[in-house]
Amino acid sequence: MTEKLQRSVIEPENPLLNASRNSNLPHVPGIRIGDYIFLSGMVPVDPQTGERSHGPIAEQVRVTLSNMRHMLESAGSSLERVVRVHVVLADISHMAEMDRVYREFFPVDPPARTAWSMQLRFGNGCEIECVALAG
Amino acid sequence: MSAKREVIPLPVRAPDTASGSGPPASMVVRGGDFLFVSGLTAADLQSGERMLGTTANETRQILINLKQLLDAAGSSLDKVVKVNVLLRSMLEEPNMNEVYARFFPDQPPARTVCGARLPDGVKVIVECTALA
Repeated sequence: MTEKLQRSVIEPENPLLNASRNSNLPHVPGIRIGDYIFLSGMVPVDPQTGERSHGPIAEQVRVTLSNMRHMLESAGSSLERVVRVHVVLADISHMAEMDRVYREFFPVDPPARTAWSMQLRFGNGCEIECVALAG
Repeated sequence: MSAKREVIPLPVRAPDTASGSGPPASMVVRGGDFLFVSGLTAADLQSGERMLGTTANETRQILINLKQLLDAAGSSLDKVVKVNVLLRSMLEEPNMNEVYARFFPDQPPARTVCGARLPDGVKVIVECTALA
Protein backbone atom coordinates (compact mmCIF):
# COMPACT_ATOMS: atom_id res chain seq x y z
CA MET A 1 0.00 0.00 0.00
CA THR A 2 1.56 3.30 -1.05
CA GLU A 3 0.08 6.58 0.06
CA LYS A 4 0.16 9.38 -2.45
CA LEU A 5 3.11 11.61 -1.63
CA GLN A 6 2.46 15.27 -0.92
CA ARG A 7 4.42 17.67 -3.15
CA SER A 8 4.84 21.30 -2.18
CA VAL A 9 7.04 24.26 -3.12
CA ILE A 10 9.69 25.51 -0.71
CA GLU A 11 10.48 29.20 -0.56
CA PRO A 12 12.89 31.21 1.60
CA GLU A 13 11.43 33.50 4.27
CA ASN A 14 13.75 36.21 2.92
CA PRO A 15 12.21 37.06 -0.49
CA LEU A 16 15.55 38.49 -1.68
CA LEU A 17 16.87 34.91 -1.68
CA ASN A 18 14.14 33.65 -4.00
CA ALA A 19 16.64 33.71 -6.87
CA SER A 20 14.52 31.79 -9.33
CA ARG A 21 11.54 34.13 -8.93
CA ASN A 22 13.65 37.29 -8.83
CA SER A 23 15.46 36.26 -12.01
CA ASN A 24 12.28 34.93 -13.63
CA LEU A 25 13.75 31.46 -14.06
CA PRO A 26 11.54 28.43 -14.79
CA HIS A 27 12.16 26.64 -11.52
CA VAL A 28 11.39 27.01 -7.82
CA PRO A 29 13.90 27.24 -4.94
CA GLY A 30 12.96 23.80 -3.71
CA ILE A 31 10.40 21.05 -3.58
CA ARG A 32 9.27 18.98 -0.68
CA ILE A 33 8.05 15.53 -1.61
CA GLY A 34 7.11 13.18 1.21
CA ASP A 35 10.01 13.08 3.66
CA TYR A 36 12.47 14.71 1.26
CA ILE A 37 13.46 18.21 0.30
CA PHE A 38 15.18 18.85 -3.03
CA LEU A 39 16.77 22.29 -3.35
CA SER A 40 17.70 23.90 -6.64
CA GLY A 41 21.32 24.78 -7.22
CA MET A 42 22.10 27.84 -5.09
CA VAL A 43 24.59 30.53 -6.02
CA PRO A 44 26.13 33.32 -3.94
CA VAL A 45 23.45 35.97 -3.35
CA ASP A 46 23.78 38.74 -0.77
CA PRO A 47 20.84 38.24 1.62
CA GLN A 48 20.73 42.00 2.32
CA THR A 49 20.47 43.15 -1.29
CA GLY A 50 19.51 40.13 -3.37
CA GLU A 51 22.46 40.94 -5.65
CA ARG A 52 25.12 38.48 -6.75
CA SER A 53 27.90 38.30 -4.20
CA HIS A 54 31.16 37.75 -6.05
CA GLY A 55 33.95 38.08 -3.52
CA PRO A 56 36.74 35.58 -2.91
CA ILE A 57 35.68 31.93 -3.28
CA ALA A 58 35.66 31.38 0.48
CA GLU A 59 33.15 34.20 0.86
CA GLN A 60 31.05 32.89 -2.06
CA VAL A 61 30.86 29.42 -0.52
CA ARG A 62 30.07 30.90 2.90
CA VAL A 63 27.20 33.05 1.67
CA THR A 64 25.82 30.20 -0.47
CA LEU A 65 25.81 27.70 2.41
CA SER A 66 24.44 30.33 4.77
CA ASN A 67 21.59 30.93 2.33
CA MET A 68 21.10 27.18 2.03
CA ARG A 69 20.72 27.00 5.81
CA HIS A 70 18.11 29.78 5.59
CA MET A 71 16.27 27.94 2.82
CA LEU A 72 16.16 24.68 4.76
CA GLU A 73 15.14 26.38 7.99
CA SER A 74 12.39 28.21 6.13
CA ALA A 75 11.06 24.75 5.29
CA GLY A 76 11.38 23.46 8.86
CA SER A 77 14.52 21.45 8.09
CA SER A 78 18.20 22.24 8.77
CA LEU A 79 21.75 21.64 7.59
CA GLU A 80 21.92 18.72 10.04
CA ARG A 81 19.17 17.01 8.02
CA VAL A 82 21.04 17.19 4.69
CA VAL A 83 21.83 13.78 3.22
CA ARG A 84 23.41 14.64 -0.14
CA VAL A 85 25.26 17.67 -1.51
CA HIS A 86 26.55 18.57 -4.95
CA VAL A 87 29.19 21.27 -5.04
CA VAL A 88 30.09 22.69 -8.43
CA LEU A 89 32.98 25.11 -8.73
CA ALA A 90 33.85 27.28 -11.69
CA ASP A 91 37.54 26.76 -10.92
CA ILE A 92 38.79 23.33 -9.83
CA SER A 93 41.76 24.96 -8.07
CA HIS A 94 39.31 26.35 -5.48
CA MET A 95 38.53 22.88 -4.12
CA ALA A 96 40.69 23.11 -0.97
CA GLU A 97 39.45 26.58 -0.11
CA MET A 98 35.84 25.45 -0.64
CA ASP A 99 36.46 22.43 1.65
CA ARG A 100 37.82 24.67 4.38
CA VAL A 101 34.63 26.76 4.51
CA TYR A 102 32.32 23.82 3.85
CA ARG A 103 33.68 22.07 6.94
CA GLU A 104 32.47 24.96 9.13
CA PHE A 105 28.88 24.26 8.05
CA PHE A 106 29.03 20.47 8.39
CA PRO A 107 31.36 19.86 11.37
CA VAL A 108 30.02 16.42 12.37
CA ASP A 109 28.49 13.53 10.43
CA PRO A 110 28.55 15.48 7.15
CA PRO A 111 26.27 14.51 4.27
CA ALA A 112 27.33 12.43 1.28
CA ARG A 113 28.95 14.78 -1.19
CA THR A 114 30.27 15.02 -4.72
CA ALA A 115 32.32 18.01 -5.82
CA TRP A 116 33.58 18.86 -9.29
CA SER A 117 34.07 21.77 -11.66
CA MET A 118 32.04 22.91 -14.66
CA GLN A 119 31.10 26.13 -16.40
CA LEU A 120 28.73 28.19 -14.26
CA ARG A 121 26.47 31.04 -15.30
CA PHE A 122 26.82 34.76 -14.52
CA GLY A 123 30.40 34.46 -13.30
CA ASN A 124 29.40 32.59 -10.15
CA GLY A 125 32.32 30.85 -8.46
CA CYS A 126 30.19 28.09 -6.97
CA GLU A 127 26.78 26.48 -7.21
CA ILE A 128 25.57 24.12 -4.47
CA GLU A 129 22.48 21.92 -4.34
CA CYS A 130 21.27 19.44 -1.77
CA VAL A 131 18.77 16.80 -0.76
CA ALA A 132 17.62 16.96 2.86
CA LEU A 133 15.13 15.25 5.07
CA ALA A 134 12.09 17.29 5.99
CA GLY A 135 11.44 18.24 9.60
CA MET B 1 7.26 11.14 12.50
CA SER B 2 10.18 12.48 10.57
CA ALA B 3 12.44 10.24 8.50
CA LYS B 4 15.63 8.98 10.09
CA ARG B 5 19.05 10.25 9.08
CA GLU B 6 22.09 8.11 9.83
CA VAL B 7 25.71 8.17 8.76
CA ILE B 8 26.40 4.51 8.02
CA PRO B 9 29.30 3.12 10.06
CA LEU B 10 31.62 1.32 7.64
CA PRO B 11 34.39 -1.23 8.17
CA VAL B 12 36.71 0.86 6.03
CA ARG B 13 39.00 3.78 6.47
CA ALA B 14 36.45 6.58 6.42
CA PRO B 15 37.62 10.12 5.78
CA ASP B 16 38.62 11.76 9.02
CA THR B 17 36.27 14.69 9.11
CA ALA B 18 37.16 15.87 12.60
CA SER B 19 40.85 16.50 12.03
CA GLY B 20 40.24 18.08 8.67
CA SER B 21 42.53 15.63 6.89
CA GLY B 22 39.96 14.00 4.61
CA PRO B 23 37.14 15.42 2.55
CA PRO B 24 34.31 16.77 4.72
CA ALA B 25 31.88 14.10 3.55
CA SER B 26 30.44 10.85 4.82
CA MET B 27 30.74 7.99 2.35
CA VAL B 28 27.25 6.63 2.89
CA VAL B 29 24.34 8.43 4.52
CA ARG B 30 20.93 6.93 5.07
CA GLY B 31 17.95 9.20 4.77
CA GLY B 32 14.59 7.50 5.14
CA ASP B 33 14.40 4.57 2.72
CA PHE B 34 17.40 5.64 0.65
CA LEU B 35 21.17 5.47 0.90
CA PHE B 36 23.12 8.38 -0.52
CA VAL B 37 26.67 7.50 -1.52
CA SER B 38 29.30 10.21 -1.95
CA GLY B 39 31.14 10.61 -5.22
CA LEU B 40 33.75 7.85 -5.07
CA THR B 41 37.20 8.01 -6.60
CA ALA B 42 39.53 5.08 -7.17
CA ALA B 43 41.17 4.22 -3.86
CA ASP B 44 42.10 1.33 -1.62
CA LEU B 45 39.30 1.28 0.96
CA GLN B 46 41.56 -0.15 3.66
CA SER B 47 44.51 2.20 3.35
CA GLY B 48 42.76 5.14 1.75
CA GLU B 49 45.55 5.29 -0.87
CA ARG B 50 44.57 6.60 -4.27
CA MET B 51 44.65 4.10 -7.14
CA LEU B 52 44.87 6.29 -10.18
CA GLY B 53 45.05 4.57 -13.54
CA THR B 54 43.17 4.28 -16.79
CA THR B 55 39.51 5.20 -16.93
CA ALA B 56 38.67 1.47 -17.11
CA ASN B 57 40.82 0.62 -14.09
CA GLU B 58 39.54 3.51 -12.01
CA THR B 59 35.96 2.56 -12.88
CA ARG B 60 36.59 -1.05 -11.86
CA GLN B 61 38.14 -0.06 -8.52
CA ILE B 62 35.34 2.40 -7.76
CA LEU B 63 32.62 -0.15 -8.49
CA ILE B 64 34.39 -2.84 -6.42
CA ASN B 65 34.43 -0.33 -3.56
CA LEU B 66 30.83 0.71 -4.18
CA LYS B 67 29.74 -2.92 -3.99
CA GLN B 68 31.62 -3.35 -0.70
CA LEU B 69 30.19 -0.14 0.77
CA LEU B 70 26.61 -0.98 -0.20
CA ASP B 71 26.93 -4.54 1.10
CA ALA B 72 28.32 -3.24 4.38
CA ALA B 73 25.38 -0.84 4.62
CA GLY B 74 22.92 -3.69 4.14
CA SER B 75 22.11 -2.77 0.56
CA SER B 76 23.60 -4.03 -2.72
CA LEU B 77 24.38 -3.08 -6.30
CA ASP B 78 21.03 -4.41 -7.48
CA LYS B 79 19.26 -1.95 -5.17
CA VAL B 80 20.90 1.06 -6.81
CA VAL B 81 18.31 3.34 -8.39
CA LYS B 82 20.38 6.19 -9.81
CA VAL B 83 24.03 6.64 -10.72
CA ASN B 84 25.91 9.76 -11.73
CA VAL B 85 29.25 9.23 -13.44
CA LEU B 86 31.67 12.10 -13.96
CA LEU B 87 34.49 11.61 -16.44
CA ARG B 88 37.50 13.79 -17.08
CA SER B 89 37.14 12.95 -20.76
CA MET B 90 33.93 11.91 -22.48
CA LEU B 91 36.12 10.24 -25.11
CA GLU B 92 36.69 7.60 -22.42
CA GLU B 93 33.00 6.81 -22.03
CA PRO B 94 33.12 3.50 -23.95
CA ASN B 95 35.97 2.31 -21.71
CA MET B 96 33.96 3.18 -18.61
CA ASN B 97 30.82 1.53 -20.02
CA GLU B 98 32.56 -1.74 -20.79
CA VAL B 99 33.61 -2.16 -17.15
CA TYR B 100 30.41 -0.66 -15.76
CA ALA B 101 28.18 -3.13 -17.63
CA ARG B 102 29.85 -6.08 -15.89
CA PHE B 103 28.79 -4.73 -12.48
CA PHE B 104 25.19 -4.14 -13.55
CA PRO B 105 24.47 -7.09 -15.87
CA ASP B 106 20.70 -7.15 -15.39
CA GLN B 107 18.27 -4.23 -15.23
CA PRO B 108 20.92 -1.59 -14.49
CA PRO B 109 19.98 1.60 -12.62
CA ALA B 110 19.11 4.95 -14.17
CA ARG B 111 22.33 6.80 -14.97
CA THR B 112 23.76 10.09 -16.14
CA VAL B 113 27.29 10.53 -17.49
CA CYS B 114 28.89 13.94 -17.70
CA GLY B 115 32.31 15.27 -18.64
CA ALA B 116 33.76 17.66 -16.04
CA ARG B 117 36.93 18.90 -14.46
CA LEU B 118 37.67 16.58 -11.56
CA PRO B 119 39.85 17.12 -8.47
CA ASP B 120 43.15 15.45 -7.58
CA GLY B 121 43.97 14.10 -11.04
CA VAL B 122 41.23 11.48 -11.01
CA LYS B 123 39.60 10.40 -14.27
CA VAL B 124 36.36 9.02 -12.84
CA ILE B 125 33.90 9.84 -10.04
CA VAL B 126 30.83 7.70 -9.39
CA GLU B 127 28.04 8.50 -6.96
CA CYS B 128 24.73 6.78 -6.44
CA THR B 129 21.42 6.62 -4.65
CA ALA B 130 20.24 3.18 -3.56
CA LEU B 131 17.41 1.64 -1.63
CA ALA B 132 18.42 1.07 1.98
